[in-house]
Amino acid sequence: MLAEAVLGSFAVLSALGIILVKKPVYAGLSFLLTLLMLSGLYLQLSAGFIAAMQILVYAGAILVIFMFVIILFQDAHAQIEKFKAGTSRVLVGVSALLFVLSIGFIAQQMVLPQKSEAVSDTFGTVQSLGSALFTDYFFPFEAVTPLFLVAIVGAVYLGKRE
Amino acid sequence: MTLPVLISFALFTIGLIGVLIKRNTLIFFLSIELMLNSANLLFVTFARQWDNSVGLVWVFFVLVVAAVEAAVGLAILIHLFRKKQVVDIDQYSNLRG
Repeated sequence: MLAEAVLGSFAVLSALGIILVKKPVYAGLSFLLTLLMLSGLYLQLSAGFIAAMQILVYAGAILVIFMFVIILFQDAHAQIEKFKAGTSRVLVGVSALLFVLSIGFIAQQMVLPQKSEAVSDTFGTVQSLGSALFTDYFFPFEAVTPLFLVAIVGAVYLGKRE
Repeated sequence: MTLPVLISFALFTIGLIGVLIKRNTLIFFLSIELMLNSANLLFVTFARQWDNSVGLVWVFFVLVVAAVEAAVGLAILIHLFRKKQVVDIDQYSNLRG
């Protein structure tokens, strides 16, 4: 419980860092810290394989693309303040506040069942996940393949010069 | 068990606020990824709660969609950047159609 609280508070703090820091590179690094903390939380929740996937896919692949693009746009970041903002920050703040209040209201109404301390040995193992992916979820798992293919073709097409 | 649920709510709200107030398109994208991560945390929490691996399978699919979204989204962003040389999201308001 203590480990969950520490990891969770670091995750929330570093997530706040994403939207509070000025430089986009620091926001990316802050996101990396959030991902590592979330991975630790997954380990706490006895989902070891998902924790490893989180590091590999998010920190290893997605964040690296983000960093490349952030560095590619290096000169443009400083220009943002030159343009006038199109939206009123007060209205945005009010809507965010309303959202938080409504979430709080829902959370108050929600009754969560007690934590079942005894989790089965097979929970979160590669074996249980693999057997679910290759039996009940075989079609969605295979449908991921054309999705990736379309995404690769689309990204290459969009990225190439005219 | 309510603690991971609250963390997930907090992360989702921070991501939503980031989408609403940030004008740098890349931070905007990072905030969307943060919201996907909060959904993942909720999936893992409830999978652990019910001792059922199905939630973890859905985390797997969310990861796949996040990777695809990042690849295509950033490609679109690079394409737009070549045209206008800015990353300010207000400058792309003509995408509304």
